[in-house]
Order: sequence, then structure tokens, then C-alpha cells
Amino acid sequence: MTTKHPIAGEHAPRKVALIANCLLNQNAKVCDGARYRGVVSPVVEALRSRGYELQQLPCPELAFAGVRRWWAVYEQYDTPAYHAHCRRLAQAFAPLIEQYLRHGDEVILIGLDGSPSSGVRFTSSQPDWGGRPNRPEDDWEIVPRRGVWIEELEAELARRGLPPVPATGWALDMGRLDEAGSRRDLEEFLDSREIAADPRRDDSAP
Amino acid sequence: MNGDARGWRVALVPDALLNLRERDRAALPDVLSILTACGYGVMQLPPPGEHGLLLAAIADQVAEYAHHGYGVVAIGVRGEPGGGLHWRRLAALLRHRSVAPPPRHLIRPEAGAATEAERVTVFLSGHDVPLEEQRRWRM
Repeated sequence: MTTKHPIAGEHAPRKVALIANCLLNQNAKVCDGARYRGVVSPVVEALRSRGYELQQLPCPELAFAGVRRWWAVYEQYDTPAYHAHCRRLAQAFAPLIEQYLRHGDEVILIGLDGSPSSGVRFTSSQPDWGGRPNRPEDDWEIVPRRGVWIEELEAELARRGLPPVPATGWALDMGRLDEAGSRRDLEEFLDSREIAADPRRDDSAP
Repeated sequence: MNGDARGWRVALVPDALLNLRERDRAALPDVLSILTACGYGVMQLPPPGEHGLLLAAIADQVAEYAHHGYGVVAIGVRGEPGGGLHWRRLAALLRHRSVAPPPRHLIRPEAGAATEAERVTVFLSGHDVPLEEQRRWRM
């Protein structure tokens, strides 16, 4: 917190949450993937009640393969063309993030765990998926790694010399949705940041 | 789409409406809560500034919705340049993608948040694509 250098007179430092596109718009999901009509309200409530402004990320899959795309795992999107597409989107979006960080705003990222693109802690994996889309449900593996889009976004921020943004994911694409568990998980992430940032908390005090 | 909960309606919303500043709360309604209640998804437009590449990416996404039976609307703020929606630029990008600019509702800050909350709710509730198009896409 002491390394921030807000531009004088611009505005007081804000709290900004970068959030995966479909957390504000479930219409972006693949067929059968939408769990809410539009806005994923528990995520919005958890963030707004803690004073975060929302900054929606673009949906790389929607802009690449369209609203009628098939389901896919990480390996199917791990192609040079899709990486290049995500890199272009990251270059389009990074100036906004850079602006926040240079103003001294606190920036966090809420992705979509299990997603081949927007996964933060987890993505979906099945090396032999391909061809006719006739796989039984849920036969992919959940593996601990970023999705393609988050990889490219973080790489773009690093290229600009910006610090890594603290990140977690809402577990929407992990098989069965456990809304209460996901909410608890997100709130723990947010509240642990509050405790760490609380100036009254000084462990060195006698 | 068994078990799919999507609402098939999307609203373009300026940053200033999505992230209400304290000083604007008397003038501007909480559009995000209204959109949530009405079952709309949100596409956020960036704050004022040069965002050419980002607007093009947003136009790509809007075109996908518009071409496949989704109801798309825009909620702007009267008095803001382009309604806060980068409207001129966005409309040109959409036309380039063979999409007519979506119906646009403008919030009137001078009328007050409560009045405008009612107006925008009526607008959102009443909007959708024609039934024939709904039947074609929404199985």
C-alpha cells in the first residue's frame, strides 16, 4: 500500500474488481451453461457491499467462436490463433487496468473457475476431446491452472511492467454449482484482503 | 437448452451507471439492480476516453447477440457525451457488422432517481425481439 503514487487531485483511490464477462451477463455462456438469467447477483452483492466498483472483462470465447459455440476444454482453445485473439483483447483492455493501477486504485480480478478461458485457480482439461461433440457430461478434469484468456491478460500486464493483480475465481464451471460454497469462498478472499489492508492491524504492536 | 437459465436479453450500460458515484445517487437510479430484477445481462461500456479496440471487441459481441435472437438495448444518461455509451463510435462499429444500433433509453438526471427507476423498468420490461424470432432461436 505504501508504494502507491496517486496522481494528485484526480480522485481518492478506489477499489476496482475486474470481473469475468459472464458474471454480469450469463447470455455469454455456452448452451446449457447459464445458471442465472443475466447478472450473477451473489458476486455483485459481495463486491458492491465491500465498496468495489465493477469493471467487466470482454468475453474472448464469444468474440471468437460466437454464441453458438460448442463446449470446450483448455486444450481445444490452446491454439496459436486463440492465444493471438486473447492477446489482442488484452492489449485493448490493459490500458484501462493500467490507468487504475497508476492512480493508486486497488485492483482485484474475479475470474471463472473451471473455464478454459477465464479460469483463475482452475481450468478444465481433457487432452483427447475433439471431433464430434458426443462426450458424456462432465468427463473433463479440473486442473489447477489459468485459462487461456487470463494467461494472456496477465502476460500483457507484466509486459507493461505492472504488478500482478490479486485474483480468484467464482466456481461456475466446475461441474455442479455450489452457490453457497462459492459465495463463502469469494467472501473469504475479499475479507482476507480487508484484514491485510487494515491500518489498525499492527502485529508488531506490544 | 434444458436447465439453461439465460434470459436472452442484454443491456449496454455506461460505466457511470454501473458504478454510481455517491454524488449521483439522488439523480441516477441503481440500474444494475433493476437489470438484475428484469433478468437482463449487462455489457459495460468503458468510461470516457479513447477505447477504439475495446469498443470494436464490444461491437463483435453485440453483433453475435443481435444475429442470434437476443434482445439488445442500450441505457444511456442524458447530458453525457454519447449518453455515456460512446454512441457515435459504437453505432458505426455496429453498422459495419450489419447490426442496427439497439433501442436506446436515456435516463434524465433532472427527473430524479425514483422517477427514472420507474421509467427504465417499464422500458426494459416491454422490450424483446419479435415472437417469431424468439421461436426461431430460443428452444
